[in-house]
Amino acid sequence: MADERQAPSPMDRVWDFFISVKLAIVTLIVLAVASIFGTIVEQNQPPEKYHKIYEDWAYDLMDRINLFDMYHSWWFLLLLVLFTVNLTCCTLDRFPKVLKIVRNPRTKLDETLEKTLSLVDRWKKKGTLPEWSSRYVEAVASTFAKPRVTEEGGQVHLYAESGVASRFGVYVTHLSIIIIFIGAILGNVLGFKGYVNIPEGEAVSQVPVRGGSLLQDLGFTLRCNSFRVETYPSGQPKAYISDLSVIEGGREVLRKKDVVVNDPLQYKGIWFYQSSYGQAGGTTARVSVSRPDGTPVGSLSIPPNEPIPIEGYGTVRGVNYDENFQGKGPALQVVVEKPGKPAADVWLLQGRPDQDRQRNDSLVLSFGGLNSKMFTGLQVAKDPGVNIVWVGCTLMVIGIIMAFFLSHQRVWMRLAQGQDGRVEVVLAGSASRNRLAFEKKFEKIQTGVKAVGQ
Amino acid sequence: MSNVILFNLTTVLFGVASALYIGALYAKNEKIAVYGTWACVLAAVVSTAALGLRWYESYQMGIGRIPVTNLYESLVFFAWSVNLFYLVVERKYGSRTFGAFVMPIAFATMVFAVYNDSSIQPLVPALQSYWLHAHVITCFVGYAGFAVSAGAAFMYLLKARQEEAKISQGVVGLLPGCKTLDDLVYRAIIWGFPFLTAGIITGAAWANYAWGTYWSWDPKETWSLIVWLVYAAFLHARVTRGWHGKRAAILSIVGFLATIMCYLGVNLVLSGLHSYGGN
Repeated sequence: MADERQAPSPMDRVWDFFISVKLAIVTLIVLAVASIFGTIVEQNQPPEKYHKIYEDWAYDLMDRINLFDMYHSWWFLLLLVLFTVNLTCCTLDRFPKVLKIVRNPRTKLDETLEKTLSLVDRWKKKGTLPEWSSRYVEAVASTFAKPRVTEEGGQVHLYAESGVASRFGVYVTHLSIIIIFIGAILGNVLGFKGYVNIPEGEAVSQVPVRGGSLLQDLGFTLRCNSFRVETYPSGQPKAYISDLSVIEGGREVLRKKDVVVNDPLQYKGIWFYQSSYGQAGGTTARVSVSRPDGTPVGSLSIPPNEPIPIEGYGTVRGVNYDENFQGKGPALQVVVEKPGKPAADVWLLQGRPDQDRQRNDSLVLSFGGLNSKMFTGLQVAKDPGVNIVWVGCTLMVIGIIMAFFLSHQRVWMRLAQGQDGRVEVVLAGSASRNRLAFEKKFEKIQTGVKAVGQ
Repeated sequence: MSNVILFNLTTVLFGVASALYIGALYAKNEKIAVYGTWACVLAAVVSTAALGLRWYESYQMGIGRIPVTNLYESLVFFAWSVNLFYLVVERKYGSRTFGAFVMPIAFATMVFAVYNDSSIQPLVPALQSYWLHAHVITCFVGYAGFAVSAGAAFMYLLKARQEEAKISQGVVGLLPGCKTLDDLVYRAIIWGFPFLTAGIITGAAWANYAWGTYWSWDPKETWSLIVWLVYAAFLHARVTRGWHGKRAAILSIVGFLATIMCYLGVNLVLSGLHSYGGN
């Protein structure tokens, strides 16, 4: 009776609010619409850039509602929290009920249940109840699934089911979302993301953390041995390749010569991803020095326009470089200055190491090519939550498939000894999903069962 | 290149199929639609051969890679998926009238593709990953499911308006019943949804392997999430609140518009990491 029902308490109302699917649908749509804004307004750009695009009043307004870093704003996070609470409450509310249904299925086909089912068939058979019930148990087992048998009040009930897992699909999916969020939070709290440039031949043991001025200790040293770019014949980049070494306690403990995009280096849970590159410092020219008889004296690394001294001789200054000097290939122009003598200006061809002998001096210079030092740019990430995220993702796919492609199918039979000495039989079935397909299956079960004992 | 010739032939076949299906509706002649089905089957064979040939040709050029890596290739792959998805639906539902609403989507996609650069370009370093295959294929099967659903939803809206007015003549009278259409709207989505989910997940896994972040709110990622949220809302509304008919059909069309935005709009309008449409 209506007047016997108590008015819902405020707690109940809050609970009812959070367990409603209506809230879920509204939250999903609001999240979808809100997400659009962050794709229209470019996120996390410097303020100057925004000022160029938007009027001052618009900038202020957008800044106030965190539109420039929307996905981390308090209100977007609040939406996500609402979404999670809703999801959790729905699951807590419905899961026990489903569990109860699954654990204690209605194994008896009584009149009330029968009325709710649309697939029902009845017939009569000559013979005894035990005889027919054992025949039908076998028939149901062979056409559908092994039935449970309940005897009560002179009636025999058979109950068989398949695809129970389908009932849990939705909860597996919901749980998977919560697991993904837990993984994401763990990663944010316990991990870090950073970025570092390492020039060739140099090493780092700390990296700057993204979105802050902090330096993160790696706990080991990472050295960039070399970096190179490979190109396709057309000149388009084919691969960016870093040769990296991990040094711990003064020893190289790991070396990966081909860290490329899509193939990172990992050590002690910290991942290094090939991300960018560039020129580190200026270009230098390699010049080797020898005596006229061919004995090597040493080699020089000459930066542009800087006199480099050679002991007991003078200075060498690189002043110009030509990729194809007079059609004879790459060449370096140097100025040699010796104390008390006029400066000599020479072009050193890379392809002719003996050319400088023409100068008839005490030393011979030869150009070995340009050295340009590169740096490699690496994304650095430690994310202890990432495997939890992958567990969640896997569960999500499994859950969705369970929910939409399995169907909880149930078949009941009731046998009773009739007044006329014949056995009265009722066969019924239902499916939680894809009823059309089940109707066909039910027909097969029907024919299979009826064919018994003919 | 010969693969492009085959793709052009596919475009013509899709156009012929669309014309035959629509013609069959207007002429109320099922026999014409049968030819439409044959055009679709032929197009499926030709376009599959074209994809295979393009794959093979890329190896001959020394840059061997799966043909789903730029706008042209993604468009032809989408049209290929829609065609196959459609043929399955036609067979399963035994009605050829869907063709008049779904095949024009495949045709329009191919026409759009023809206007894009069809040369085989080598893969930039960022795309050189096995995740590429899993990611692109799952996403596009998902998109194809949503396209079929939206086509059915459009048919539903036409049919429902007529049923309300209690007329059963004209072209619309030949469409399958509202119940069948409504069922198809739902069924195509429950096929598309797990594939989209897998597409987003493989994309996240790839992103994590390529630059150490599985989710960075890049416009493409965000739009894929928006699409996912819309269809999640659809499924909740459908299963637990009994949204059928008109409201479900409209939501399916909204979902497909979001899908188009995710697939093309983001690349053509917004900036981000998926640059295949940006050049």
